[in-house]
Amino acid sequence: MYISLILAILLAGSTAAFLSRTREQARMVAVVSSWAALLISILMFINYEPANGLNNFREFYEWIPRIGINYHVGVDGVSLPMVLLTAIVSALCAVYAWGEKHRANQFFALLLLMDFSLIGVFVSLDFFLFYIFWELVLIPMFFLIGIWGGPRKDYSAIKFLIYTHVASVVMLLGIFAIYYFHGKTTGVYTFDIVMLLSAYQTLPLTSFWREFIFAALLFGFLVKMPAVPFHTWLPDAHVEAPTVGSILLAGVLLKMGGYGLFRFLIPMIPNASHLFIYAIALFGLISILYAPIAALAQPDIKKLIAFSSIGHMGFISLGVAAFMAAGAEVPRIFAASGAMFQLFAHGIITSVLFGSAGIIEHHTGTRIIQDLGGLTKKMPKFAFLMITGFFASMGFPGMMGFVAEFSILAGSYPQLPYIVIAAMLSIPFTAGYHLWAVQRAMFGPYNERLGNVTDLTWYEFTAMAAWVLLILALGLYPMPLFEVMHSTAAQFITILPSGGIVP
Amino acid sequence: MSYLLLAPELILIAVSILVLLLGLFIKEKKVLGYVSIAALLVALLLVLGSFNVKESFIGYPFYSAIVVDSFAQFFNIIFLTVALLVCIASLEYYGKNPSQDEYYFLVLIATAGMMFVAIANDLIVLFIGFELASLSTYALAGFDKHSRLGAEGALKYFVFGGLSSAILLFGISLAYGISGTVNILEMKEFLAAHAVRFESIATLAMLLILAGFGFKMALVPFHMWAPDTYEGSPSVVSALLAAGSKKMGFIAAFRVFLLALIAIKLQWYLAFAILAVITMTLGNVVAIMQNSVKRMLAYSSIAHAGYIAIAFVVIAHSQNAAQIALAGGILHALSHALATASAFIVVAAVGLIYSKSDDMENYDGLGKTAPTTALLMTVMLLSLAGIPPTFGFYTKFVLFLSAIQGGLLWLAVIAVLNSALSVYYYARVIMRMYWGKPKIEKIKEPSAYVAAMIIAVIIIVILGLYPNPISEWAYSAAEAVWR
Repeated sequence: MYISLILAILLAGSTAAFLSRTREQARMVAVVSSWAALLISILMFINYEPANGLNNFREFYEWIPRIGINYHVGVDGVSLPMVLLTAIVSALCAVYAWGEKHRANQFFALLLLMDFSLIGVFVSLDFFLFYIFWELVLIPMFFLIGIWGGPRKDYSAIKFLIYTHVASVVMLLGIFAIYYFHGKTTGVYTFDIVMLLSAYQTLPLTSFWREFIFAALLFGFLVKMPAVPFHTWLPDAHVEAPTVGSILLAGVLLKMGGYGLFRFLIPMIPNASHLFIYAIALFGLISILYAPIAALAQPDIKKLIAFSSIGHMGFISLGVAAFMAAGAEVPRIFAASGAMFQLFAHGIITSVLFGSAGIIEHHTGTRIIQDLGGLTKKMPKFAFLMITGFFASMGFPGMMGFVAEFSILAGSYPQLPYIVIAAMLSIPFTAGYHLWAVQRAMFGPYNERLGNVTDLTWYEFTAMAAWVLLILALGLYPMPLFEVMHSTAAQFITILPSGGIVP
Repeated sequence: MSYLLLAPELILIAVSILVLLLGLFIKEKKVLGYVSIAALLVALLLVLGSFNVKESFIGYPFYSAIVVDSFAQFFNIIFLTVALLVCIASLEYYGKNPSQDEYYFLVLIATAGMMFVAIANDLIVLFIGFELASLSTYALAGFDKHSRLGAEGALKYFVFGGLSSAILLFGISLAYGISGTVNILEMKEFLAAHAVRFESIATLAMLLILAGFGFKMALVPFHMWAPDTYEGSPSVVSALLAAGSKKMGFIAAFRVFLLALIAIKLQWYLAFAILAVITMTLGNVVAIMQNSVKRMLAYSSIAHAGYIAIAFVVIAHSQNAAQIALAGGILHALSHALATASAFIVVAAVGLIYSKSDDMENYDGLGKTAPTTALLMTVMLLSLAGIPPTFGFYTKFVLFLSAIQGGLLWLAVIAVLNSALSVYYYARVIMRMYWGKPKIEKIKEPSAYVAAMIIAVIIIVILGLYPNPISEWAYSAAEAVWR
């Protein structure tokens, strides 16, 4: 009942926040319900049994039996950390946004609706339900960008909506095809994810259909992640979105794509074809290489962070490809657990980064790096938190990002050596844009034109400090989380043909 | 034999005449609106209460000319719901109009006409119902006598409608000439037995009948009248036209055409597919360019006619996906009727604020000036766009699923891309409502409109979240057609 309870609390909270009269009521509702959801997800994490896989907290009710649609939810080691991540990020966002003044009731209602639909995506075990949540995510984000967004919000909001919606409907076609062929072969027409995925490899599909289905789903996920060259909606959306919108967008929404790779594409990889492994790896590689160089050129710190997200998400594609490619089991599992860890780690780290960009904009009135300078002098607390975040994003040892990226690179090398070596070329650029941005914005002489800048408010400090603490704690001692992912990856590897798919 | 099954139609006819007569004596004519609503509500409850029936009225006095089955009942639900929404909204729209008795008479009689089309098992009955609905909607379209646009729209509708009736009747006469019967089932049996002998003339007859129905369905290339008429007509009448009268074309086409098609065994699926694809693409592309919300909704209705036409394609192409395709088609007809009717009512509500103009600019800041209307409109538009968890999503889901089941991947691809394209122009209205600058202060929203919209939106949301019962009905309706 845990899962339905979380969903019910968040939906009720969203409605209550929308109907509340004052800003104080709305934000109180948001904090209470998002923290209640967080509490329940922590309880779920504690009570999680790795051996049970998807049977953890499973719930099943008939919904539309004629077509084979059910309310079916449950979590395993891939989705549970994602649920936890969503709950953490949303709960801290509710604190971070405590000072929101513009249409506060709608703002917090959308925040909770976002939380609701994101958690829904990760727990769904029925394609219909999954798709509903997957699409529902777009609506609060569309409004967040549109109502609280910057000057070019019209363009960005609609671009975000159309681009990701097109990707979703293409994915839906793939889902239809799985449904149809499963029903035709077995006589059971169902949208149940567990049933469809377990039977998928035995379905007598022609190679056209097998590849079409895979490509349709892959397209849906790559756009969401996003992988270069399908990334163009992301910088626009980020630049215009309000800070909380950006945090949720980069912190959790992008993870839907990475999650999709694990949940759907690994069990569905066409066994005979190595083409897709290289495709996924190359999409990852291009993102890893392109994003830092693009980030170097950005004058706007928020756009810079947006590009950094694209690069970090590339590592997930790389890890997934390395997991499927032929090789010894140990490094493959290592790469996959690293990729899952990256999903979580990047969600937390990028929250600090976008939180910093929001604070800079809010306190100084600009996001252009050139116009900043010497902020450490006026905002010492902020400077410490932000710089820690930037170091974590750079992959500094002792922090979460390092654990993730190290595991991915080390685990991928035996299977895909050349791609890993190529990916390593990005490291100086990654370090470069992070350090350069920090240097220009935070150090040097204070830019007097900024006037009298104040340091963090208590709510900003609380949220940022909590994120930074998590980065350090799970960077120094990743075991509680890593263990869950590792055991899940070890279970997942049995789905693939033994020894992996020979490239 | 239970004549009670015809009670809904008879009630509507009786009350419509009553309304007309009372209108001569009553001063407070708004009462007649309530009388009409009550009649529609009773009729709707009767239909809902007798859903799963099959009554063919063999022998005296109807001789199988009408058949009340779940397929007809499903469409009767659509017609009655739409008429109900329209009448509720009209309490406000025509609340002060001195000739509102005639208005309600026309709405009721048009609805009765549509219902006769739904239950017709005989081409003559079908044609009479068709004409009853058409003639009364011609008058309704021009009901605002002093509006130039209204006169233009009504005239176009009348001329095109008259032409389409003539073509339809010619097609019927050819079909009668071959088979010697006007009973649809008998005609089907005859055609099945003698298909080879009469292939060319039967094809011609079906083409003409398709053209006749195509005008009502507003399929390309028979759609020309629709945008002008929807734009010019009073908004509540546009709701009735787009949501009700258009669906009448669909049930007529489903009834006559599918049976004949199976009987003649023509491989027409490609022709249908091209028609559907052109209709939805043209509707969507042109809708993007519109600056009038009414015209936008008109073109979006054309696009939706294209989606519903997918059902024809799938049925013509593959027998094993026929049931789900037909169920998807009629479900989508229902969801589109609900969302479009209520969206036109929103246009009527906005017309109150801005002297009847339906310019897109007037939606700027509606989220502030009329928050309830804006919120409800958002749900309707999301439903039209097919975004979950609305009913519109579910119906598109079933419809597109049927295309895949029928082995028509390419059609499904075009349809979903079209649907994704349509998000653009629906979202544009939402954007204007929520982040446009309001030009006026917050207003008091007229309660009759809000009531009609809330009813529609509640149905859209509930059916979106729990579509199981209605979807079972649609399946049993789809089964009834083949029997």
